[in-house]
Amino acid sequence: MTMIEEVINEILMFMGTLMIVVGAIADLIGSIGLLRFPNFFVRLHAATVGTIWGAFVPLIGAALFAAGYVELGTYRWFVAGGAVVTALLILLLGPVGSHALARASYRSKAAIPHPLIHDALKEKLGEGEKK
Amino acid sequence: MNSELYLLVVFWALPVYLTAFTLYSVRAVKGPTIPDSVLAIDAMSYDLAAFITILSILFRSPILIAVAIVLALWVFALDIYVAKYLESREMGE
Repeated sequence: MTMIEEVINEILMFMGTLMIVVGAIADLIGSIGLLRFPNFFVRLHAATVGTIWGAFVPLIGAALFAAGYVELGTYRWFVAGGAVVTALLILLLGPVGSHALARASYRSKAAIPHPLIHDALKEKLGEGEKK
Repeated sequence: MNSELYLLVVFWALPVYLTAFTLYSVRAVKGPTIPDSVLAIDAMSYDLAAFITILSILFRSPILIAVAIVLALWVFALDIYVAKYLESREMGE
């Protein structure tokens, strides 16, 4: 192994470790928010923090780490590719799923937004029914 | 190469993930409404996919990656099914 390859692997593993640690901290923040926030529509915010910062970022970090981790053998490219595919899937599917769930629970009144000051969507939907 | 140091740092990130999973489980069990529980399960499973990927690096077993991809897809299916059930009170045709 040449000198330049060792340096590149070192940088990849450092970036991967950094992203995994950032993801762990964001995951903890998201779970605390999910536990402490007052109603469902505020909890959605904390849950999406836990999805993008807590799952997408550590998956990209794991891909970088695996690409630089020579002891894993040839299969390290398998791990890196699988991690990138999972990260892209979560980047697409996480917001779509949360949005579908929020829309359905607002329309069917399954979750009541309790400390509520002003509901602009209700007025808009009410105007739609009149026309 | 000091890959041992990086592996040690990644290993000590695992208890933070486990604490987060515990808090997600508390919300999933306690959640006053159905969407709360589904949202907690949703966030927990996406994070579990990341956790499994990190474990596959620490255990040096690349086959665990296949589990993470399937887990992400199934949790998306759970979201869409519950949303459809809440909106139209049927499981889909």
